[in-house]
Amino acid sequence: MASNSAALASFVESTPPGELQDVTKAIKSILADDPSVLQSLAPAFEKYNEEQFTTVKLPGGSEEVIVSSHNSLGGGRYYDVANQSSFAFDHATQRASAVQSHVLEGSQSDLVKSLLKSLYQHTLEHYPKSSLGVYPIENDSAIAVVTVANKYSPNNFWNGRWRSHYIISPSASTLTGLLRVDVHYYEDGNVRLKTSKPVSVTLSSTSTTEISRQIALAEKKYQEDLNRAFGSLSEGAFKALRRQLPITRQKLEWDKISGYRLGQDIGGGRSR
Amino acid sequence: MLHTPWHLSSARFSLDTMASADPLDSALDLLRRLNPKDVKQNVDYLCQLAPALTEELLESVDIPLAVKQCLKTKRDFLCCDYNRDGDSWRSPWSNEFQPPLDDGEGIAPSDRIRKMEVKANEAFDVYRELYFEGGISSVYLWDMDDGFAGCVLLKKAVSPSPKSNGSWDSIHVFDAQDRARTAHYKLTSTVILSLGNEAENLGIMDLSGNMVRQVEQDMAVEDDGSHVANIGKMVEDMELKMRNLLQEVYFGKAKDVVGDLRSIPPLSETNRDRATQREMINSMAR
Repeated sequence: MASNSAALASFVESTPPGELQDVTKAIKSILADDPSVLQSLAPAFEKYNEEQFTTVKLPGGSEEVIVSSHNSLGGGRYYDVANQSSFAFDHATQRASAVQSHVLEGSQSDLVKSLLKSLYQHTLEHYPKSSLGVYPIENDSAIAVVTVANKYSPNNFWNGRWRSHYIISPSASTLTGLLRVDVHYYEDGNVRLKTSKPVSVTLSSTSTTEISRQIALAEKKYQEDLNRAFGSLSEGAFKALRRQLPITRQKLEWDKISGYRLGQDIGGGRSR
Repeated sequence: MLHTPWHLSSARFSLDTMASADPLDSALDLLRRLNPKDVKQNVDYLCQLAPALTEELLESVDIPLAVKQCLKTKRDFLCCDYNRDGDSWRSPWSNEFQPPLDDGEGIAPSDRIRKMEVKANEAFDVYRELYFEGGISSVYLWDMDDGFAGCVLLKKAVSPSPKSNGSWDSIHVFDAQDRARTAHYKLTSTVILSLGNEAENLGIMDLSGNMVRQVEQDMAVEDDGSHVANIGKMVEDMELKMRNLLQEVYFGKAKDVVGDLRSIPPLSETNRDRATQREMINSMAR
């Protein structure tokens, strides 16, 4: 049924960082392990993994590489520049297999490799654990830069993901992108932080140095703004919703509650 | 409604330890993972996918409270599964269902319980004004074989600036079992808190969710007025605790996780500082 697959696709799309297997398990249980379910979910899994920049360890490898639309070779295969290899990716189980050699060619391959080297240093300095991908796209007319940092702590009921996604157009000298944070906290509850910040910069040159510098600048500025926004939400909307204590700084005397009634009526009645 | 509210059953708190893949448990586990901002849409989807779970899901999943205006008193009241009969909701101010029920009066509390309900609504109206300085409150009570049960609902929304907004929904479900000169109270509280921020330099920031806590307590009872005061104290203590907890999770934990994902100062610097610090401590210890 078409509407059912829309519901399931929306569940997959809403999956918090690192919890795709849990969500899949729950969906299968709700639908009584209907074997057709997994099949109908395939497009949603693929979309999820590519949009979330899912990372995967290659067989025999130690570092995690990225799955995205930018490094897709079609037919469920993806490539990684640093490892000079391609691999098959199972979107349902999120595992890689069938690794083959894949050497990057084309007019942008020097800039791609140089950016990879420079931005790798940047990620080492600012992400305790992350994966980086730089790929030529749109017939070598642009370059995509993808960084994803995950931290999963299911034993403590939280998981988090930071995604940086940039497109560099050497001909237009522009850097555009999107920075996104997704945090899930679920001990005795379900709390979610989702943020999304567009980036748009005109580059003074398309050198590796300038591109790396602008990326570092945009990320630093955003993280500082985000930290400040926590403070302004706490001091603003949160405080305006409910006081910690009444203005008298005392808890209510519930045995004398009818006395308050009078005072409140004098004080101007109820507001909505 | 003579059954124990599902909110109070222990099953609600043991989702993790359940090895079995009961479809209802799985649906609740899923709702604890998916974006809490979309909980109403997700409940609707689940009811569509598994119609057999509809009744239990509607009863057990807390969604932001809907507001209706009492036709008789013109005062706003809050709607949940506990004042619902079919597609009608009972106003706590008039004790009448609206729209009116086709088949008569619907399920309403006994005279004794309704009297307590009126008192409780008056008391929590004061509580609402003192803590929320606005918003809407509603209390619903119903008879049980060995006492009574009820829910206290509070809701407020704000938009302190055009680019920021917030909403708070409290859902406190309790039952009171009469004993000699005391009563045993069991309270399950959910607070749904949504906060949003939007600005040129920030883009979109959404911080939404819900937290649940449960408490049991024996308290002295002289008359029905004591019940209202006892429930009032329990709800007040619980909300104070939950407000602190929400503050810690929303503005402490969530922010800390962002800092765990990405560091503003270069890590080589922080690592060097830490090493220097360790060295200093070690040399002082020698």
